[in-house]
Amino acid sequence: MRLDWVNILATVIFVSIVVTLILAVASYFAYKVREARRPKTAAELRQEGHSKTFFEEYRPSDTPATIAPVEGEAAATVNAPTKQ
Amino acid sequence: MANDTTSKAPEPKAIGKKPMRPATQLIISIAIIALVVIATLFLFKYPQKLGPIFITALVVTMASFLLLLILRHFILIWFSYLHARELAHDEIPENYPFISIIVPAYNEAEVIQPSLSSLLELKYPYYEIIAVDDGSTDGTYEKMKEFEGNHYGVNVSVFRKENSGKADALNYGIRRSKAQVVVCMDSDSRLTPEALRYAVYHFRDPHVGAVAGNVKVINRHNIWTKLQALEYIEGLNIVRNAQAFWRTVNVVPGPMGIFRREAIESVGGYDSDTFAEDFDMTVKLLGKGWKIDYEPAAVAYTEAPEVLLDLIKQRYRWTRGVLQALRKQKHLLTRSEGNITTPLSLWYMLFEGLAWPAMNIFANLFFVWIALVYGMTKLLVLWWLLLTILDILIAVYAVVMERESFSLVFYSILYRFFYVLIIDVCKVFATLEELVGLDMSWGKLARKGRI
Repeated sequence: MRLDWVNILATVIFVSIVVTLILAVASYFAYKVREARRPKTAAELRQEGHSKTFFEEYRPSDTPATIAPVEGEAAATVNAPTKQ
Repeated sequence: MANDTTSKAPEPKAIGKKPMRPATQLIISIAIIALVVIATLFLFKYPQKLGPIFITALVVTMASFLLLLILRHFILIWFSYLHARELAHDEIPENYPFISIIVPAYNEAEVIQPSLSSLLELKYPYYEIIAVDDGSTDGTYEKMKEFEGNHYGVNVSVFRKENSGKADALNYGIRRSKAQVVVCMDSDSRLTPEALRYAVYHFRDPHVGAVAGNVKVINRHNIWTKLQALEYIEGLNIVRNAQAFWRTVNVVPGPMGIFRREAIESVGGYDSDTFAEDFDMTVKLLGKGWKIDYEPAAVAYTEAPEVLLDLIKQRYRWTRGVLQALRKQKHLLTRSEGNITTPLSLWYMLFEGLAWPAMNIFANLFFVWIALVYGMTKLLVLWWLLLTILDILIAVYAVVMERESFSLVFYSILYRFFYVLIIDVCKVFATLEELVGLDMSWGKLARKGRI
């Protein structure tokens, strides 16, 4: 009876070690793939010497913006929109 | 250890190592994998070719590893107990210095407000909060601004700067502080009200340059976070408690570090050239001869990764950051100014971070091989039982000392079953990548706003 318990426990331990090692290695490579596919941030692009070519970050400024006049009308000034 | 609250990648050239070319990295990786496969096939197909001396040497190595582990556990428990006894006799301080709490943040909109709210509830008479937004793009600065001003005697200042990394953000905040003592914390952390009152008393010793806080996991929602909660109290805090007996704590954690301003200035502030700026700062302080203590009552709750891949990302960064810092300060492994325990503390860090994980993986593989090839299943069971008993012992001690939930002790069985092995595999891979010189970046962990 005692020997049976030892063998059962040994099997459980053996399986858990093997499965854990496989899980650990697989998780590590899954993490590397995820990182490789992650889009780079602006800071990382800047460090590599690239500039963001798509969107420019919008920052509301304190100075009022001026709308270019339509033909025949005077230029209008509006307050810069504030972030909600 | 710090959570990654900012996104600037450090300059690899500053560490003095040229990264290997991708082709070379690929060749080395294939060579290592081929070697492992050949060795495995050889060990399983021709075990009788290994002489008895080789087998005996392996068994003796394993027995030594086990003995070392038992010794390590008992030494940690003993010294942490001695340090706890020292603290039990400490008096309440009569005078409290003015403290500046520096809170750097990058894209922490989910957690910045609970974090700042917790700081306004501290039971400390004289302090200010300096919040530094490191060029966030998710509204973190605007959320910080809502706290700006004076709150019942506590002044909150909010600054915004261009994104340049956590180290720079901390230095930016420290330069704007006039206090003798500064607290550097993560923006995803939440301090307990009594944290500062207990921590500040360690500075009565003029040689103490920093005090490490007690970091605990707040989001204990699933098995990964509960295992991390156990790991923090058993693997990190007990170790710090033991090291504090010698005043050579080797990591002042990012979520809660209290520094003498003079000490930070003596080492030139934080550096941006590693991924573990908290460990780097600690090593610099130790190298300069400052003592570093630990206060278990200075508790900071932090959000731990809730999914496995995020956990691996965090540990990967910690491992590589530690190696970068040690490589930068490798001269301290053989000498330091005044404190002879500093090299010992750093060698312990190296051993615990690198050699130990590799030995643990090797030991597991060795006993699996012994069980499969020679049928010695009892040895496998004995090995596992001994390690689990040690883990339970230290978990019980840690839970009692930290006044934590006893349910964490049951997780120590799962801790041994798979958690330790996963973390160790990650550490070994991270070490190999650092040695090979693979590029890495900060990235950011997804915040759930649990604090």
